[in-house]
Amino acid sequence: MESAVIEKPKPAPKAKKTMSDKWYGGLLITPAMVIILIFALIPLFYAVNVSFRHADLTMGGIQGWVGLNNYRTVLHEAKFWATVKTTLVFTCVAIIVEMSLGVLIAFLIYGATWGKGLIRSLVILPLATAPAVTGLFWRYLYDTQFGPFNYFISLLGLPWHPNWLGDIKLGMASLIIFDTWLWVPFVALIVLAGLQSLPKEPFEAAELDGASTFRVLRTLTAPMLGPVLTLVFILRTIDLLRLYDSVATLTRSGPGDTTETMTYYLYRQGLVFFRMDYASTMALLFMFAVIVASGFALRPLLTRLAKRAGAR
Amino acid sequence: MLQQKESKATVILRYTIITLILVAILFPIVWLILTSFKPAEDIMVYPPHFTFKPTLDNYIYALQKANFLMFIKNTLLDAVVSTAFVIVLSSLAAYSFARYNPGGGNILFFILTTKMFPAIAVVLPYFLIFKEIGNTSVGNFLQIGLDKPGALIVSYTMFNLPFAIWLIVSFFQDIPRELEDSARLDGYNRLQVLRKVVLPLAMPGIAVTAIFCLIFSWNEFLFAYVLTRDAARTITVGVESFFTLRGILWGPVAAAATISVVPMLVFVLFLQRYMVRGLTFGAVRG
Repeated sequence: MESAVIEKPKPAPKAKKTMSDKWYGGLLITPAMVIILIFALIPLFYAVNVSFRHADLTMGGIQGWVGLNNYRTVLHEAKFWATVKTTLVFTCVAIIVEMSLGVLIAFLIYGATWGKGLIRSLVILPLATAPAVTGLFWRYLYDTQFGPFNYFISLLGLPWHPNWLGDIKLGMASLIIFDTWLWVPFVALIVLAGLQSLPKEPFEAAELDGASTFRVLRTLTAPMLGPVLTLVFILRTIDLLRLYDSVATLTRSGPGDTTETMTYYLYRQGLVFFRMDYASTMALLFMFAVIVASGFALRPLLTRLAKRAGAR
Repeated sequence: MLQQKESKATVILRYTIITLILVAILFPIVWLILTSFKPAEDIMVYPPHFTFKPTLDNYIYALQKANFLMFIKNTLLDAVVSTAFVIVLSSLAAYSFARYNPGGGNILFFILTTKMFPAIAVVLPYFLIFKEIGNTSVGNFLQIGLDKPGALIVSYTMFNLPFAIWLIVSFFQDIPRELEDSARLDGYNRLQVLRKVVLPLAMPGIAVTAIFCLIFSWNEFLFAYVLTRDAARTITVGVESFFTLRGILWGPVAAAATISVVPMLVFVLFLQRYMVRGLTFGAVRG
């Protein structure tokens, strides 16, 4: 469908008086690009600069060069690696739970014969809420004494009385359950959209041939859903690694420091202890890791999109 | 994947599981709204009360004690102004990317990589920069600085811009190019084509993008938490302030949280058709 459009000669009756497409296109993106460049690059340069200096805001602010000392200190700090580990454990478990539950829910809704629209509009609702606000309220849901969760557990007759946010064995699980509640709808909706946009013909052909459900899933559905699943996986991973809001309001890095993720530690270093040098160094290391990992994974997908955007 | 052969048992099983999932998803939201209307003596009780005499006490408390009207005003101001900026800037840029493709996809890709900066890494330098700017007369005049609305408007504009550009590009692509070509033949110049042909057609998409930007700014927590102290506080951070008063007052917390959450719930109910497209930068057509 594209080729016909591209080959059509450009009508340019006033071509001499107007500027070329190239300049016009460039002009239109300039305001947005100026803003993006200024506000993305200034913080970046700022962080790079501070990461090579001594910067204790409680004592004299930003001072002289210290070379790579901050990087050395941060990389040798056990606490830093502990928060990296917490972040990775959280991300790995949460991504597995969210992806599998999300795909399951998507298939359930896809197969529903009636009420699909209603189900979809209800499933979507957690996505509209602010994690910081619902995270705060979940402290009440998790409450050992008055919380409805423990009441439901007692209704089931289980002799289990968990202290969700106080037991060091459960803190991480509580955080993951909350994050799952918040983000499973996202995974489910996107996988559902992917399922609905699959072409019908191959599936009808497979049915005529008498292929088993499992065979259809393995040879048709899975490969065709691949790109959508990859995209959800990467977007979710980036967000999980960056998790901050729910830690800040739901667990506050506790119990103990069992849910202290990297971003929360970064926040404390920078804005509680005011050690901007360490905070900037960690921020850069973190940013670098995320961009390298996600950038490589996303690049093929995104360039294809960008190409489709441009070359019509 | 065809469903004709499903037995009655399968259908019942499917809907039972779906119902359970819906209950799990909706319970926290329903409970939040219920709690906001509960009298204090019905909140900290065991077993939890499902019936009670609804009251507006929590809302009155929230609106009086914590200056909640100001939080709402600030949040609206930040969200609306930043969204206006974002929509103007991103519509122009997205149109250019959809039609002229400057940079052959590389610029568009670069724009998205700025979304991969962890917000926390950006907010620390912003804190220091806004602290400096706030002390200058320019910063004072433009209301940009710590605890001033300009700081959040600038921040929200910045972080919604990449997303908005990507989303609007996907809507512009759906507009057939032939329409523009024939408008040019009819003697419209480029700006007229953009204003009178393309923008009206793209309006639904632009509106959806605007609502997304409003939701993101409205729900934003980290920047608001770090860059404001008092006068420029927003609602998401304001909800937290009930922590410090005396213990945790769950009634007012729930009332405040409900005020913060319900407007966006309503938006999303209308938006659901476009949610997928929005959340994946237009990569998946919803």
